[in-house]
Amino acid sequence: MLGAPAFLHPTRAGAHEPAPATHPATAAAADAAIAASPLPGLARFAELAVSQATDAGATYADARLVRWRSDHVAVRDDHVSKLSSEDEIGIGVRVLVDGGWGFAATHSVDAPSVRAATKRAVSAAKRAGALRAATGAGPVTLAAAPAAKGQWVSPHAVDPFTQSVGDKAALLLDATKAVLGVAGVAHARASVAVVGEDKLLVTSDGTHIHQVFYRLMPQLSATAVDRRRGGFASANHEAAPMLGGWDYVTGLGLADAGVGVGQLAVQKLGAASVTPGVKSVVLAPSNLWLTIHESIGHPTELDRAMGLEADYAGTSFLRPQDAGQLQLGAERVTLMADRTQPGGLATTAWDDEGVASQRWPIVERGKFVGWQTTRDQAAWVGEPSSRGCAYGQRYRGVQFQRMPNISLQPGSEGYTTEDLINATEDGIYVTGRGSWSIDQQRYNFQFSGQSFWEIKRGRLTRPLKDVAYQANTVEFWKSCDMLGGEGTYRLGGSFHDGKGQPGQSNAVSHGCPPARFSANIVNTAGTR
Amino acid sequence: MKLTKTEMTKLARRVLAQASVGDLRVQIDARQQGNTRFANGRPTTGGDVDQVTIAVTAAQGASTATATGNATDDAGLAALVQRAEAMAALSPENPEHMPPLGKTAHDKVKARDPAVAKMTAVERDAAVGKALGAAAKAGVEVAGFVKHETRVVVAGDRAGLMAAHESTSVSMTTTCRTGAGGSARRGFTSHALAGLDGEALAAEAAQWAKRSNGPTAMDPGRYTVVLAPAAVAELLGFFVGAMGARAAAEGRSALSAADGATKVGQQLAAASVDLWSDPAHPAHPASPMTTGGEPHARTEWIRGGRLLALTASRYWADRAGVPARPKPSSIHLSAGGSGSLEALVGKVGKGILVTRFWYSRMLERRSLTVTGVTRDGTFAIENGKIGSSVKNFRYNDSPLNMLARIAASGTPVRTQGDRVTVVPPLVIEGFNFESVSDAV
Repeated sequence: MLGAPAFLHPTRAGAHEPAPATHPATAAAADAAIAASPLPGLARFAELAVSQATDAGATYADARLVRWRSDHVAVRDDHVSKLSSEDEIGIGVRVLVDGGWGFAATHSVDAPSVRAATKRAVSAAKRAGALRAATGAGPVTLAAAPAAKGQWVSPHAVDPFTQSVGDKAALLLDATKAVLGVAGVAHARASVAVVGEDKLLVTSDGTHIHQVFYRLMPQLSATAVDRRRGGFASANHEAAPMLGGWDYVTGLGLADAGVGVGQLAVQKLGAASVTPGVKSVVLAPSNLWLTIHESIGHPTELDRAMGLEADYAGTSFLRPQDAGQLQLGAERVTLMADRTQPGGLATTAWDDEGVASQRWPIVERGKFVGWQTTRDQAAWVGEPSSRGCAYGQRYRGVQFQRMPNISLQPGSEGYTTEDLINATEDGIYVTGRGSWSIDQQRYNFQFSGQSFWEIKRGRLTRPLKDVAYQANTVEFWKSCDMLGGEGTYRLGGSFHDGKGQPGQSNAVSHGCPPARFSANIVNTAGTR
Repeated sequence: MKLTKTEMTKLARRVLAQASVGDLRVQIDARQQGNTRFANGRPTTGGDVDQVTIAVTAAQGASTATATGNATDDAGLAALVQRAEAMAALSPENPEHMPPLGKTAHDKVKARDPAVAKMTAVERDAAVGKALGAAAKAGVEVAGFVKHETRVVVAGDRAGLMAAHESTSVSMTTTCRTGAGGSARRGFTSHALAGLDGEALAAEAAQWAKRSNGPTAMDPGRYTVVLAPAAVAELLGFFVGAMGARAAAEGRSALSAADGATKVGQQLAAASVDLWSDPAHPAHPASPMTTGGEPHARTEWIRGGRLLALTASRYWADRAGVPARPKPSSIHLSAGGSGSLEALVGKVGKGILVTRFWYSRMLERRSLTVTGVTRDGTFAIENGKIGSSVKNFRYNDSPLNMLARIAASGTPVRTQGDRVTVVPPLVIEGFNFESVSDAV
């Protein structure tokens, strides 16, 4: 079922998309990815685990075979500093016995090892089930999901693993050469990480699916140093990590962008230090995506709201009963969860429980309306089925609720970034990702950025530095009074969203137009 | 294949035997882990995981590359070595590539407890059951995590290096919440099982959660604070992360001085402050080697408040003429004091007690300013006593300020975290809280 999910949504038609994200997976490229996979040849071990578990009394069982490949090439100034490649395979077995979960994983994909892992998972599940019963907790229950069968390969034109590490290094060295050509730049770094996630899921519900994903994260940075006065400043290229092919990286034109990155670092060195106070902030998509992630993405995870992350990641300012009730933002604010979004790092055809990917509202006209759920969570909020948010990192991470792509929808007025700036009397235009921090219930946050421009009477007047904006989540989103139009929409994202114990990492994207808010500006220069 | 030093060393030798280049290096990191997670008074997820990572670095001249995999059969090992060698052949030269370590001496550190190595879901679920019982008895919600791990690390090369270290670790955390704005977290971490007591952890967390009920807002600003060891460790971690000699010499660090110099030799901290690493500490053992086989030796970083040393890669050490010092596997901080947290509070007339920081992130590298929030119990200190519970704060401040403004300290204790960190509670003057958070 290659390319089966409907990728383009009407509200997104005409929006600027990263070029490769909309590139259709050619049948040949997808067929090649599936044909090259070793996992179908190992599927019998996943089937063995599931049948052994059900024979042992499991009411549900799944087995995930995962091959994880990654290339990481990094250059520093004029030479390669790291060139590495990873390729591992393993199997994770999850079982539900006597109402409790058990999980075991092994890197040895052979019958004795898989049998032993399954036995351990069943044993642990029975113990968990007994402990749940002893504490008065009911059994884990799963929302129904139709059996899924098929294959899916993430859209790409050029398989990134077909490019030699030497070619990848050469592309990066061209970029750092351009950065170093800027007067005042002392150091340059560039890197590209490429991940190939290949997974085959078999469940006791009859699901048998095979998916291959390619994700890419290019980075380019410059550091300007004032040795005489002892100051320094760094700037990063704002390229987003993306689900795509190697063509995404070549399409970025890193060498052409290098001069701008170098100039930004030098400019930051001499920029004026910001005057703190409450101001308007116009946030570019390259900055706002992370604010969406932290202030909307995490608090709408149902496991957090129910207290399951209380010992680590934290809980949420949202309660289950707030769905459909709480006005979280201004009426112009609508955020959609979307695991079908082109280029989205969390885009998939099915999640790691075999639930088909979906698009649904999280915030609609400012009101909080939707949760992120898995099969064992849907009933907690009275929903008949999962939203398809289960993910386990590699073979050794147990599936649990992870964030889908969640994106702020563009405004209907068709504003450009310039329109937002022109309409601002006193504010700061912020681009790029900087420091970020938010509390454990997602009320109080503070974000920085890459570049900051003072706005006075509708014009960008001078570059600033030492800027961070601080706000309360609900007050911030209620203050949103301008949104860019469809033509300004961009995707940002993260390769490494951490959650869970033991910690797991998930890749996720967030799209948005530029938007204007009110926030408390703080000066981040030293506090001595 | 058993998870022992002997078996993993054999595996490393099998890798090296596949080499067709003179400079081939291998790193093996093999682990058996088990964990149980709980929340809302019940177990939630758990797992038992066996994993091995084999990293092979091949070099042809200054062209080098690393291939990593987890297949342990002969064909898999051969393919892994071939992949590393093929990549190295395609790699541009790295002028910073260093020759292999060869035979290297390491401290002998006993960090493996057989009782931890034998742990299964039976033992960890017993601890969970006791924590659940204690929380239920106290009438609070509880969430937490128990994890145990047995690990063997081996590093070898064709120039004579073949070093191995085995260790165990076990940890448990419990967070209790009251529903009345109270929250507290307590934890245990060690290489050894002795001392793990799920019931005591949950009972203490429950008691402090109740004590933190009904927090009220205090104005942000600068306060004298008592930082519990967990808070000290979190902030100190940013200083340890900034201890790179190269960044300092290149003008890219808070430890840079003018004209390419570093702050080594300068008085950075209060005169009472000593900061050192000691992998062979009997109560708090840490790895005596990096995963690449470089030795972690006992090192004094700060003595009497003066910065004595920075970390340096082998390349930078060679170029700058300083000793090679990898990032440390353990950190010990002393500020000359002793006594409990409560005794330390007794020395403060008016201030804030911070139990823990959360979501701390680098804010400004030039001054090493960090931002984050307080969590799981923040209290007003009034007349030397722990007073009313206060709402959490966002802080913007620097570990350099923390080390320079120490007014008093208590007895160092081991804190949670991957790196072995042993730090005391501290009294810090003029700590900067930027705003208030409503989070519990």
